[in-house]
Amino acid sequence: MTAAPRRRTLLAGVGAGTAAAAAGAVTAPAQAAGVRYTPASFTGVQLLPEAERHLVSRFSYGVTPALANQVRKAGGAQAWFERQLDPSGVADGTAAALEGWWPSLSYDAPKLWERSQGTLEGGWEVMQSYQRWLLMRRTYSQRQLAEVMTEFWENHFNVPVFGDGVFTFRKNYGDTIRARALGTFEDLLQAVTVHPAMGMFLDNAKSSKSAPNENLGRELLELHTVGRGVYDEDDVKSSARILTGYWVDMWRTWTASYRPEEHWTGRVQVMDFTDDNRDPDGRAVVRRYLSYLAKHPSTAARVARKLAVKFVSDTPSEALVSQLADVYLRNGTAIAPVLRALVASDEFKRSAGKKVRDPGEDLVATYRVLQMKVARPTASDSAVNAMLWQVSNLGQTPVSWPQPDGPPLTSEAWSSPSRILASFDTHYTLSGGWWPKKDVTYRPKSAWLPRKRMRFDMLVDYLSRMLLHRPSTAALLEACCLSVDLTPAEMIHADHGLVKWNMHRVLATVLDSPAHLTR
Amino acid sequence: MTVTASPATSCCDEYAGMSRRGLIRGAALLGATATFGSAVVTTSARPAAASWGAPARGTLVLLSLRGAADGLNIVVPHGDPAYYAARPRINVPKDTLLERDDFFGLHPGLKALQPMWRSGKLAAIHATGMPAPNRSHFFAMEEIEDADPGSSARTGWLNRFLGLDSNTSPLQGMHVGGGVPPTSMYGPHQVMSARAASAVKLAGDDQYAVNDGRRRSLQKLWNRDMSLLGRNVRSSFAAIDAFEPVLGVAEGPRNGATYPRSDLGTALGEVARILRGNVGVEAVTVDQGDWDMHTDMGNMSWGRMKANVTELGDAIAAFFTDLGPLADNVTLVTLSEFGRRVKENSSWGTDHGYGNVMFVAGAGVKGGKYYGRWPGLQNSLDADLTVTTDYRSVLSEVLRRRFDTSTSAVFPGFQPEDVGFMA
Repeated sequence: MTAAPRRRTLLAGVGAGTAAAAAGAVTAPAQAAGVRYTPASFTGVQLLPEAERHLVSRFSYGVTPALANQVRKAGGAQAWFERQLDPSGVADGTAAALEGWWPSLSYDAPKLWERSQGTLEGGWEVMQSYQRWLLMRRTYSQRQLAEVMTEFWENHFNVPVFGDGVFTFRKNYGDTIRARALGTFEDLLQAVTVHPAMGMFLDNAKSSKSAPNENLGRELLELHTVGRGVYDEDDVKSSARILTGYWVDMWRTWTASYRPEEHWTGRVQVMDFTDDNRDPDGRAVVRRYLSYLAKHPSTAARVARKLAVKFVSDTPSEALVSQLADVYLRNGTAIAPVLRALVASDEFKRSAGKKVRDPGEDLVATYRVLQMKVARPTASDSAVNAMLWQVSNLGQTPVSWPQPDGPPLTSEAWSSPSRILASFDTHYTLSGGWWPKKDVTYRPKSAWLPRKRMRFDMLVDYLSRMLLHRPSTAALLEACCLSVDLTPAEMIHADHGLVKWNMHRVLATVLDSPAHLTR
Repeated sequence: MTVTASPATSCCDEYAGMSRRGLIRGAALLGATATFGSAVVTTSARPAAASWGAPARGTLVLLSLRGAADGLNIVVPHGDPAYYAARPRINVPKDTLLERDDFFGLHPGLKALQPMWRSGKLAAIHATGMPAPNRSHFFAMEEIEDADPGSSARTGWLNRFLGLDSNTSPLQGMHVGGGVPPTSMYGPHQVMSARAASAVKLAGDDQYAVNDGRRRSLQKLWNRDMSLLGRNVRSSFAAIDAFEPVLGVAEGPRNGATYPRSDLGTALGEVARILRGNVGVEAVTVDQGDWDMHTDMGNMSWGRMKANVTELGDAIAAFFTDLGPLADNVTLVTLSEFGRRVKENSSWGTDHGYGNVMFVAGAGVKGGKYYGRWPGLQNSLDADLTVTTDYRSVLSEVLRRRFDTSTSAVFPGFQPEDVGFMA
């Protein structure tokens, strides 16, 4: 059995300082028989109770020590949740200031178009700024629940940022959703369906009386409201006719208007909704139609199921879906009561850790728990710019899912081998602080050692509490030991090879654990 | 017919012995058993991976045209008068068509495919699709890729195909390019997916990882996790090992091939590199998007059809050029979730329809010919191209002829008809 010693020697030689330093004074194989992996307990980082961590984790982009402090100050997770349901009561100056990083986010459609025609700024660049702004808001906003719900609705009423001409109205579309993310579904539906960005994406902005375009009329039924199975092709045609008249003067003035001369008039019927639709100004019939759809029991069930899949599990029970649908209908399509009922359910309480983080959630949570401070971009390779490339490598950038159904919410969709390897790669790179480098401050390596001297098992428990907001387990401890070839009893100090050379391997191991890849 | 592997290529045992990972894992395992006894993680990929990476019997590349491509403007039925009547603005004029016979012709954007057509390596089968129309992109994609209408179980037809033999390698099926693996690949047989070949690696698993610490730490973290995520973490490691020969293949196209600079061109270039690595990939999925042309499909001088169809033709042609002699083992099929209406709309586009065209290219194809039974078109508001050939008959024929396999378990309850485009 010469293979192992030979390889070990070889690696120590090749690895030069690194391997030797990591091993420290230990010369015998660290994983010698008889080593016990009993987790230590670091008392310096206070944790929320498990049930509270679960609630905060599902309705934020990652539980950090700072967020846990806010939760405690609010009087616990339930009280925090209530306060978050009314975002206007939560001060959020840092997030508000982010918009100023990208001046074009405040320009109107004609100005954005004009700039895109010269060499000033392409529409795709404006949309990348929008995506980066969203990533930053998710990372730093104090209104975490509002951001989570804004993302949820942006995906439900998906208007991908790279659709033709969409950049002219897309930021306004997102603002429209953010302002209503915790209001009523009906209010949301009324606002997004007739929004110029939606009209451009699903072809309603060019629909006409003589040939109503069916794209939005169909997706409004199939994806945004009742879902398939309760309407037929004649309903789709009526749906499209009702929606005619909303116009965007694309490629010329980029003004949005209502054109009665393009509104199809005459009797319409969609399921049980009927209207004589005689008025050339069809906006009133659209309001009645959307109000009918918002309050339709099939819409209630569909919205309830989607919320349950996002916040409970991939396979919510029919009982929960039906209960939430009932709450939705009884409260005039208000969203907050549905969320309250959802988090109060036993099914929610039993679902901790059952949802896989999607690419955006993974990246943002990683930035948050590593306590990275991202600054206003000054160059193309600034950290906030790199964030978008990083999330793209993980498989999906924000609000760019190309199809109207929005990105999948199931764990299954984000469990592919390619995604896993990309996540491990991103965690490793960020743990090492190698990239991005510009306009970002990493927590100093030495700060990850909270005591002058401490045993390795104690350090692992500290890191687990900081990054995962939970105590370490025997498996995590053993994994961390394996990652740097140390024993639990190894004494770590500032001059130890681990701190000088290999802290990134331990950080990455903690970030690669099931607890960080799920929420 | 069965495809046999080229004797010149290395077999699994050979490369496992020669590659760095094979060498080190072998050594680490020996050392581990000797030194650390049962305390050591035993979920090493090595035993399973020993059978992985066996040469492919053949390779099927499924190219999905996402968004419902307008097959009537790709393979144009110029002999049907209703076609020109229904599409006064967006039609493809007869005199511009390529490889025209007395009824059909190819969109001029497919110029790059003419050599393949003329050498009999490319066939078109028209009026194909599902047994009943489904005009929703998402449900149609799900249905056409699940391809088992009698069952509520969500498995894709390619996954069922991969599960037919005893090979358990996740490299047997790969999705290449962005996004998530499609429904056709979904199911109990593990499959791999990657943006690019170079992404199939484990960060930090380098020469400085003492005692194989990076791998072993992750195995420790995940070896008891029974979720799909946990299972895929474990198979990722084994897949990385078996995939290693691909990384030894130099990047960049061969044989003078030039890919279009697009997602599809990039993805097919990666596929060619992967197939050159000879790691046993038998089914590949790649996507081309942007086919949902309700607006601005355009005509011969402008519009989205011209751009997309040219990209499609250029990418497929470059792919087979790039493959060189390997092309003798690779069959590519195009499939879109449904077709589009016969009549153009007011926005220079077409709305959701039904029947469509499929291309089959490469190994085993009796090409240079248009297949299928033409149902005739109507010029009315809701008229569709009717489906006369079930798309599963086309796929069955490829699987039967190239993999010498029965398709009764791939398309349960379906009796395929013989279309006749495969040798």
